[in-house]
Amino acid sequence: MIKNTVMSVLAIVAALSASTAMADTLADIKARDKLIVGVKNDYAPYGYLNDKGETVGFEIELAKYVAKELLGSEDKIELVPVVAANRIEFLTAGRIDAIFATLGITAEREKVIDFTTQYVSAGGPSVLMAGAAKISKWEELKGRQVCGIQGSYFNKKMTEEFGIELVNFKSQPEAYRALKDNRCIGMVFDDMTLQMKLREPDWSSYKIAVAPYEFAPMAGGLRKGETAFREAVDKAIHKAEGEGKLIEWEKKFGMPASDYIAQRAKAAASAN
Amino acid sequence: MLGLDFSWLGDATYQQWLLVGVTNTIELAAISSVAAVIIGMLGALALTLRIFWLEAIVELFVEFFRNTPPLLQMLFAYFTLSTLGLKVTDPATGLSVPLLSAFACAAISLSLFGGALAIEAFRSGIETMPRAIIEAARSLGYSRWSRFWRVEAPIATRICLPALTNILTNLFKTTSQASVITVPELMYYAGQIYNDNLRTLEVMLLILVIYVALVSVITFAMARLERWMAFPGYGTGR
Repeated sequence: MIKNTVMSVLAIVAALSASTAMADTLADIKARDKLIVGVKNDYAPYGYLNDKGETVGFEIELAKYVAKELLGSEDKIELVPVVAANRIEFLTAGRIDAIFATLGITAEREKVIDFTTQYVSAGGPSVLMAGAAKISKWEELKGRQVCGIQGSYFNKKMTEEFGIELVNFKSQPEAYRALKDNRCIGMVFDDMTLQMKLREPDWSSYKIAVAPYEFAPMAGGLRKGETAFREAVDKAIHKAEGEGKLIEWEKKFGMPASDYIAQRAKAAASAN
Repeated sequence: MLGLDFSWLGDATYQQWLLVGVTNTIELAAISSVAAVIIGMLGALALTLRIFWLEAIVELFVEFFRNTPPLLQMLFAYFTLSTLGLKVTDPATGLSVPLLSAFACAAISLSLFGGALAIEAFRSGIETMPRAIIEAARSLGYSRWSRFWRVEAPIATRICLPALTNILTNLFKTTSQASVITVPELMYYAGQIYNDNLRTLEVMLLILVIYVALVSVITFAMARLERWMAFPGYGTGR
């Protein structure tokens, strides 16, 4: 009985999502004259709130640029704050047209949504250490105490592959405090977050001692099968790359210059 | 029924984490329990001496450590003491590092917290002692010290054993709070594991069972001790 109910609910959901997938998002956006985008508002430099409470950031600029290309004005946009746990549901349920929210490309997600062109190559974890530190490789951290954050996806790998003794805290401020107290020789965390930390005056004597062992491509997320919309968005992103806009935004939000973005800019400029 | 999946238990890293976690939990509980009982005895002894300033110190100690959450004590010891200057220079690296490790902070804080509770338990044992017994000991010519050691302490210990059992089981469970200051005990690794495999329910169930098993060992041992020490014809004594 219950099983039957569940099955019929699933069937209805499937039918509904099939019908939304069949709709032409690009035409819808033009009809409503507004692009609705899911963005982060707690993840500097990609998407965060500034002192005035406005959502700003690298991906916000990109989303606005896309809106300008599609609708003629970068103000014809609605920014919907999303988090990692709900952004794909927001997209598939039709509440947003696109995700520009630090979305990494994975095979699992590829089954559910389509990705735009890969505009960022984000570093995985790196290690923040005192400027005098002589360690520069992951292997050299074997058996050493390194601060971290509970729940980071790479924690198990740190133990298994590098033999690092992780000292994991519940939140970032505690881990930074412990690093300053020399309770651990370094702190392992998302490379971009650590890079941004280095820009604070308190942290000028520190450095990224060990570089990320992997880079994950990041892209916008779109509903599956929206070929016309995807092509329009990709065209807009390529145009922004060709105009050097992404490099400009990198500088604007204090991000370290990425080789990936520079190469993409060069390639897009020569293609245009 | 709930779709429980315990296949992650086969993972070597998880097994190692759990083993280290259980070992550290037992070690932390053992150290702080022994220290708490010793502190309790010394504190209660100090109170029987009826010296004004000693009494004031003990009572201040009890009030302070009994009335503050052990979690706060641990966080204070871990983050604040080193900032206040409790630091040493590490000869290997020349860096100034905190004197107290996370484990030491947790052990000290739990010992003092448990000790404060134990002082009260022992005191209650001594205070509920029938006056007639003390008077009898006095009339038999026992000195102050031998009266405490040979008459008051043995009886008071028996009276306060059930209260002490409560304190020790509570202390054992409170070790889980040391996970917050990164002591790699059972709760810490439970968090590591369920953050990694996202099997929160299964991990919680497992460590629930482990805690019940470990605490049962204490309550069982204490019950045996109680029975062994009982006076014939008094309480559980037969």
